[in-house]
Amino acid sequence: MTSVVTWAPETPRDAAPSGPRRRREGLRRLAGSPSARTLGRRATQLGRPVLWLSIILLILAPCACFLVLAVSPRLFSQGSQWFTLSYLRAVFTGGTAVALLDSIWVSCAAAGMGLLIGFPIAWLANRTTLPGRRFVAGAMWFVLLLPSWLPALGWQRLVQPDGVMYRIGLDFPFVTHAIMGPFGVVLLLGLRCVPFTYLAISAALAGLGQEFEDAARVHGASRSGAIRLVAPILAPAITSALAIGFAETVSDFGVASTLAYTAHFPLATYQLYADINGFPPSFSGAAAIGWLLVASVAVPLALQARALRGRSYAVLSGRTRPVVRRELRGRAKAGAIAFLSLFYLMALGVPGFGAISSSLLADFGTSLQLTFSNYRLVFESSGLAGPLERSLIYGAITASVTVVGGFVFATLLAKKRTKSTKVLDFLLLAAVALPSVVFAAGYIFAYNLPILSRIGINIYQTVTLLVLGYVASSLPTNARVLVGAVSQVQRSLHEAGRAHGAGSVRAWIRGVFPVLSRPLTMAWLLTFCGIFLELPISQLLYAPSSPPVSVAIQDNLGNYHFGTGMAQAVVAVLFALVAVAIVLGGYRLLAPKGWRRIGGGARG
Amino acid sequence: MTNKALYPVRALRGRRPRFAMALGAVAAVGTLAAMTASTAGVAAASSSQKNKIVPLVVYSAQGYDKLITQDFSKKFHIPVQLDDNSTGPLLTQIEASKNNPKWGLLFVDGATAFAGLDTQGLLLRGYEPNVSWDSLGSQALPKDKSYIPTGVTLAGAMAYNSAKVSNPPSTWQELLSSQWKGQVGTNDPSQSGPTYPFVAGMMNYLGGVTAGESFFSKLKSNGLVVNPTNGPTLAALASGQINIALVQSSAAVGATFSDKNIKVKYLDPVTILPSAIGIDAKASKQEQVEAEEFANYVLSPAGQKVMQTGDPTGDSLYYPVLNGIAPRKALPSLTGVKTQNINPYAWGPRENAVNAWYDQNIVQ
Repeated sequence: MTSVVTWAPETPRDAAPSGPRRRREGLRRLAGSPSARTLGRRATQLGRPVLWLSIILLILAPCACFLVLAVSPRLFSQGSQWFTLSYLRAVFTGGTAVALLDSIWVSCAAAGMGLLIGFPIAWLANRTTLPGRRFVAGAMWFVLLLPSWLPALGWQRLVQPDGVMYRIGLDFPFVTHAIMGPFGVVLLLGLRCVPFTYLAISAALAGLGQEFEDAARVHGASRSGAIRLVAPILAPAITSALAIGFAETVSDFGVASTLAYTAHFPLATYQLYADINGFPPSFSGAAAIGWLLVASVAVPLALQARALRGRSYAVLSGRTRPVVRRELRGRAKAGAIAFLSLFYLMALGVPGFGAISSSLLADFGTSLQLTFSNYRLVFESSGLAGPLERSLIYGAITASVTVVGGFVFATLLAKKRTKSTKVLDFLLLAAVALPSVVFAAGYIFAYNLPILSRIGINIYQTVTLLVLGYVASSLPTNARVLVGAVSQVQRSLHEAGRAHGAGSVRAWIRGVFPVLSRPLTMAWLLTFCGIFLELPISQLLYAPSSPPVSVAIQDNLGNYHFGTGMAQAVVAVLFALVAVAIVLGGYRLLAPKGWRRIGGGARG
Repeated sequence: MTNKALYPVRALRGRRPRFAMALGAVAAVGTLAAMTASTAGVAAASSSQKNKIVPLVVYSAQGYDKLITQDFSKKFHIPVQLDDNSTGPLLTQIEASKNNPKWGLLFVDGATAFAGLDTQGLLLRGYEPNVSWDSLGSQALPKDKSYIPTGVTLAGAMAYNSAKVSNPPSTWQELLSSQWKGQVGTNDPSQSGPTYPFVAGMMNYLGGVTAGESFFSKLKSNGLVVNPTNGPTLAALASGQINIALVQSSAAVGATFSDKNIKVKYLDPVTILPSAIGIDAKASKQEQVEAEEFANYVLSPAGQKVMQTGDPTGDSLYYPVLNGIAPRKALPSLTGVKTQNINPYAWGPRENAVNAWYDQNIVQ
């Protein structure tokens, strides 16, 4: 087998390279020079405090400023009490307690469902000859790109009394009951978890060479036995997917405010929203719910820690062997295609139908009279171009910053567990569990203090604070998604480079980066898609006169222009899809073949 | 060769995370640098503009706000920074930043919200534009002049499907009869800003909170359908799920443009819901002057024209509060319709309690 990572022999010192070669040589010498090493050492020494400072400034301080209101409303002039436990006590009574319990079991079920659907899809796409497998990843980005309220509205439109299902003669009240109830809520949130599982498992599968399955088969294991052997090696990715699925679900507001609300099945995030959106808002009540949401992530974290304790999952090295895809035939092929089609029908078909029908029907989307008037309005007078451009730029900046930070945190989480990494792990997952509106309000409390204005720091209502808020909200998810891939990378990749004389940076770029380039690209896209149509942070932190696209859409949806808003949403999603296609296509065209092979993990 | 390579490999174990830390440090420093640069820029800009025209920060939830702020800027050469949002997020921003407010002017529907802000001392008091109020305007103007009415809509207008309902109810009590069982829909006041004034108005009309709760409980027993906001309630009306929708008048009249079967009727009494402008009490003197200028402009014939044309199927469907300004033709006449004003200072503080009761007893 040819190693993907190859190291050229050292150029003899007495040779006199010229042109680009000389420049490369100069850079390499500089990288290995004593001054560069000193600089690197200093940066490393500074690294840990700066890293923790950034966590404190970006995540801890805003969240703490918000959460402290649960016990001390007066601290930010939100009440008269300096210290009270009344808000925390109230969370354990009445409707809030019920909503909280509902949120926890729904999140467990949704994360489990995400794994049950996402794992087979990842396996089929990465390990078999499934027809159309090349489109699976792209379609998964589509699923991820849709804000969670869109599928909820699509399903509602389909199954509600007097909805499309009844209008075309399908009189199935039991379907209405099922979807407009806890089952429907779990189904939608579970479908939402599938892309996270798919990404985490795909990244892990990409790094899992053929040698493990070969070893099992050589020792007489059946195909299923080989899978049983391989599956535990994917434990970091599986537990990561479960944990992130739980945290993402417990903090989801899109489904909580649409389908769950209509189904009279209140979830904790809706209660939190009601507290913040009431007048006057009860930030203290919302903070008390926030505390319990944060506490709830201790459950998946504890399970994850228990599952991974004392084991190593580093399987990805320069010798990782490309996998031979399993040929799908007959019933297996038909079953796989049906399974995948059903998933995309539920995750994309129904919401797509809801959004497009709403945008094409002028009279509140209930008759069958088609019109393009909403689209004409979008292109003629809605002023969508500016917000669209802004959101593309904000998404790209946020994704670029986040992917660097996410990789650093994932690296820390993937190495030996210490007290500090445990704290980091909890902080990151707890941050995922906090609804975005908590981040946004926390950013106002933390970064709009009068004392900051007095010393000339006025970043509230600037693009800077908005982007910082985006970074803070997406960093935890990004880090969690990368943990699976990063924990598979063997140290030998970097060490081999160093052993052959490369500096630390060069060794990483030549040895580790090619292996991680695909997961990093995916993590970039994950953040980009999440930020592009993000609403709660955008609403509270955007710089006046510079609305992002989600605010512009919400502006229409909230001002009786439902059709125009939906047309804007469809156009925005199409733009984002083009951006995703450009990034994925760019990677395919520009990345060296070796990068794609070791990241892609499979032949055929 | 093997042994030679082994030594550096051992020595290097554990270095990769340190490199990652260095990378993280660079990213964090970059972010902080960007943050500092931005703040320095803002600080420098604000000091250089002292005693000069400053940007007027307008928080607005009106459908015509982009057009009206652009026109104002063009005419008065005052730059406007517009935060165009729903009323909920705007009020959340104001409450969260009340120690260090960054807004200059608030332009939304609902007197109760303004009364709440006034009670907290967040609004500039005592300013009244020199205009000729009509009776709606006079009723909506608060005694302490802490906010300025710019128009009114009606909370709890009745939109009905004329293809199915030939003889709509003519009193609120009729809605409780079995004839309308399962046919009436309205919104959730926790999600729909204009719905709380409707609920409070019914309570006010019926004699208090308890009587109002009894009315809505009976309405629920009669099959009341509750949707989050005006849009879904009107969609339910258009689709035939319900035949009567109790929504804000501008939404109801707007729906008649797209569905000719939808008609609008006002039941006595119907509650007035003013749109208004409030000025930040803690804004700089200069920004307050500019905000007053903006209020004057909005109430001028030019401003009223933009208000009436800027969002033709939405917020432009309001009843003017000034003598000499006629309502748009699509609006039903208020002649013979009994209207009521609720005291926003009395009903504002009850909003959270009433909404919580409604959510637990009517929505669930």
